[in-house]
Amino acid sequence: MQPKVAVIGGGIAGIQAALDLGEMGVHVYLIEKKPSIGGVMSQLDKTFPTNDCSI
Amino acid sequence: MLEAGRHPEVEILAYTDVVGMKKKGGGFALRVNRRARYVKEDVCNACGLCVAKCPGRAPDVFDTGLRKRTAIYLYFSQGIPAVMTIDPDACIYLTKGKCRVCEKRCDKGAIDFDMKDVRMTLEVDAVIVATGLDMFDPTPLTHYGYGRLANVITGIQYERLINATGPTGGHLYRPSDGKLAKKVAYVQCVGSRDLNYCDYCSSVCCMYSIKDAMLAREHDPESDSYIFHTDLRNVGKWFQKYEKRAAEEYGVNFIRGRVAEIEEDGNKDLLLWYEDTRERKVKSMKVEMVVLATAAMPSRSAAELAKILGIKTDRYGFVETVPGSPADTTVKGVFACGFCKRPCDIPEAVSQASAAAQRAAAHVKKAVAV
Ligand SMILES: Cc1cc2nc3c(=O)[nH]c(=O)nc-3n(C[C@H](O)[C@H](O)[C@H](O)COP(=O)(O)OP(=O)(O)OC[C@H]3O[C@@H](n4cnc5c(N)ncnc54)[C@H](O)[C@@H]3O)c2cc1C
Ligand code: SF4
Repeated sequence: MQPKVAVIGGGIAGIQAALDLGEMGVHVYLIEKKPSIGGVMSQLDKTFPTNDCSI
Repeated sequence: MLEAGRHPEVEILAYTDVVGMKKKGGGFALRVNRRARYVKEDVCNACGLCVAKCPGRAPDVFDTGLRKRTAIYLYFSQGIPAVMTIDPDACIYLTKGKCRVCEKRCDKGAIDFDMKDVRMTLEVDAVIVATGLDMFDPTPLTHYGYGRLANVITGIQYERLINATGPTGGHLYRPSDGKLAKKVAYVQCVGSRDLNYCDYCSSVCCMYSIKDAMLAREHDPESDSYIFHTDLRNVGKWFQKYEKRAAEEYGVNFIRGRVAEIEEDGNKDLLLWYEDTRERKVKSMKVEMVVLATAAMPSRSAAELAKILGIKTDRYGFVETVPGSPADTTVKGVFACGFCKRPCDIPEAVSQASAAAQRAAAHVKKAVAV
């Protein structure tokens, strides 16, 4: 049976955890309370310490 | 983010709340509620025809209330899933019984006013909590005047102002009169390191205020920035260099002293009273806009979620982990990563996430083998 994991919160942490598990062949439910995933990082323009664009 | 949207093993359940959890076998049965969007996720392609005619209005939450949006809206342009949502509190049809303009405009038939919340049970072998942060509301700190003085904004609002996709297209137009703010003060530790509110350091605000001041100068070479800090806490790799670069290449001014009070004059400019702790003098400075670096706290829904999952949180509401196993919560099979555990920046949130994924994968292997 394919293993399954629920990730609660679709910010950068939840997204990264979901992708890592997905790559390992685990089925992931990424549960986000807002209308779409992204979290705080998606509200940022550039990020320290590189001042690169965030998305 | 796009990658998560495309990954065949990652199923995104957005606009969804966890409402219950039971142990089941070696794993968990998670009860979730998929809130009604009133828009079919598999049909809508976010073309925007509906938005153009929607008469409902509400503050745009993603833009931190700096602009209004329609009742049917796209949460943000690169969001996933890239579909519209109808805000039931702002929709004229859902509140007053008449309208349905969006439905008429939509040539795909994506609008569905009969949609109901859907409860589902997800059977899983492990859970990862990654509920992140919410911002402290600085209104109770009346001496800073947030909510009363038009040109006092918060750090997260500034992020939207300086953002090319934000409400001002990336220009620092101040709220009171839309004038370009040339002299900006950044006030650190608002609610953080404060015995009355959050008596911890939020860890990211010193760095993001320096970033914000640098971005202001990039947008406008004539802009002046002043960062009022307790002590600058730039403890990461290269962070010291970043501060130096801000001062030397971007002309950012650093003043050691907590701001005591902010007043407004007839032009809506702001007068900051502070103690310069290097010179041991009480001084004042006039600026055109003030940015409050408000404390970052655990998500407001985290306490409720902790109860549902049975995991322990500390007195601030951050998820507690097991000594020696920083990704493990106090419930076996439930892991945590990111800001929900403690203040952290993006690179750290990412490495914590990979650690939690590894721990969950190891647990799941055992659970599946049983
Ligand atoms: C103003 C500001 C500027 C910043 N600038 C930088 C920067 O330049 N560089 C940098 O490295 N860091 C920066 N940071 C820090 C950075 O935002 C965080 O490190 C990062 O967002 C943490 O990611 P996260 O996934 O843990 O949390 P979040 O980004 O908060 O994501 C959590 C997600 O979980 C969802 N959620 C919450 N509760 C629930 C629930 N009960 N059920 C389902 N979903 C839920 C939320 O809606 C959200 O989508 C900044 C922070 C702020 C506030
Ligand atoms: S990071 Fe800086 S501004 Fe934020 S709480 Fe810590 S010391 Fe204060």
